[in-house]
Amino acid sequence: MSQIEIADVAIEYRKPNSDETFAAIRGITLAIEKGSFVTVVGSSGCGKSTLLLAIAGLIPRSRGSIRIDGREVEGPGRDRAMVFQDASLLPWRSVHGNVRFGLELQRWRRDDIDERARRFTELVGLAKFSDYHPHQLSGGMRQRVNIARALAVDPDVLLMDEPFAALDAQTREVMGNELLRIWERDKKTALFVTHAIDEAIFLGDKVVVMAKDPGRIKTIVDIALPRPRTTAMLDSTAFTAYRHRLRDSIAADMQSLELVGGAA
Amino acid sequence: MAVATDYEHRRAPSIGAALDRHYGALVSTAAVFAFLVVWQLAAARGWVNARYTSSPSQVFAAALDIARHDDFLHHAWVSLSEFTLGFAAALGFGLPLGLALGTSRRLRLFIDPPMMALYTAPRLTLLPILIIWLGIGAASKVAVVFLGAVFPIIVNTMAGVREADPRLLQAARAFGAGRLDSMIKVLVPGALPAILLGVRLAIGRGVLSVVVGEMFVSEAGIGHQIMNYGEAMQVGHLMVYAFAISLFGYALTIAVRLLEDRIRSWRPQP
Repeated sequence: MSQIEIADVAIEYRKPNSDETFAAIRGITLAIEKGSFVTVVGSSGCGKSTLLLAIAGLIPRSRGSIRIDGREVEGPGRDRAMVFQDASLLPWRSVHGNVRFGLELQRWRRDDIDERARRFTELVGLAKFSDYHPHQLSGGMRQRVNIARALAVDPDVLLMDEPFAALDAQTREVMGNELLRIWERDKKTALFVTHAIDEAIFLGDKVVVMAKDPGRIKTIVDIALPRPRTTAMLDSTAFTAYRHRLRDSIAADMQSLELVGGAA
Repeated sequence: MAVATDYEHRRAPSIGAALDRHYGALVSTAAVFAFLVVWQLAAARGWVNARYTSSPSQVFAAALDIARHDDFLHHAWVSLSEFTLGFAAALGFGLPLGLALGTSRRLRLFIDPPMMALYTAPRLTLLPILIIWLGIGAASKVAVVFLGAVFPIIVNTMAGVREADPRLLQAARAFGAGRLDSMIKVLVPGALPAILLGVRLAIGRGVLSVVVGEMFVSEAGIGHQIMNYGEAMQVGHLMVYAFAISLFGYALTIAVRLLEDRIRSWRPQP
């Protein structure tokens, strides 16, 4: 049995002022093995973030089932933690205070909260900055805090919603390496949403390509690159082959859309 | 302290820099002195009728007289206790209601129109009714302070809560926050600058309310004394009381300002 089992999930919204519904995602079926790193790519509007939020239990699904270790997802739970995009840190809390946030909400013991907050701040390399506030940090540092906050609560599954989208290309590469370094320690099951193809290949054991209208899984590509991954692999023939394959797949989706748009 | 501003602290100290730093305070102090000098001169030279304008030296003499013969502390205590009770009630009622209004759309739709009507109406016009209901003692003044102070607190708390960043609320929810957790750990801290702004406005309203209430009808208090000395044409004495109440309101406002500055330390420096 896979750790995450997603079966025929649809999320539909009612269009404003009408009885028609609009499907953000439809017919999503996906199994994710324990300890694997799965990335999800697709153009904007393909519902990749919607899928992630549904797994996090933050939005209800209209159809289908999402099971984690056999248990149906009914809402947010301690077995999952989420790394959000840039602006989700509490601006009035220090780095230390932000890493404590999840632990406090999950009612960890007071001693554990302090100890774990310190340990995970150190793990992401911010020990010297633990008294700083988010506005005093660079984008990359803020996302380290975001990662530390999620890991500190010791989740079974780590969900990441385009965590590096706001970073420049260099920082992004550094953060990708850093994320893998941390992930290699205990290999928690990871689901990482991005719109950057290279990032998806570099991080993932598996890349899920999504297409839109309605949001659906188009193809799943297994990435056979060895671990630990290194920056040198970015220029390898194998990596380039994956890049072409994924780019073609996503581009085909964009093109067909433009044709539909032109006809209408 | 932000890394980017470190260089500012390395500047060598000099008299010029010290002047720079205290420039505002120096100018303000000089302005006050200049005003006092002109006021004293104008009264002494007969440019204005000192009977109506008094003068700094007369006000000083009146202050000594009040300290010796007037029961200043009693009047101050009456006003202070009326203000404190009314203001505490405004906080105790306004903060929870503001939080509730900020989070519940239904409650907002229900309460907003009548509240806005009350908010925009000059509440001191209710004073005669309050006196009929509550008498000329402290209770009517407590009520008028409450009415003056409660609206800025409600409205600003509500606005602060409504401006909460939905991304922060979602992050809290992802870590299992319930409604109460979100309220305590996200909504209230996020709304704190707005709440303090409301409190600062409410202090001004509350001080005004207690004085006007006492001037209207009362047995004691600073407003009561201002009215008495006004009727007796003792402008110097009147000014001592007026100055005392201004000082009180000013000191409280400054205290809240300092608190606001501390709370805002997490904000990007301008």
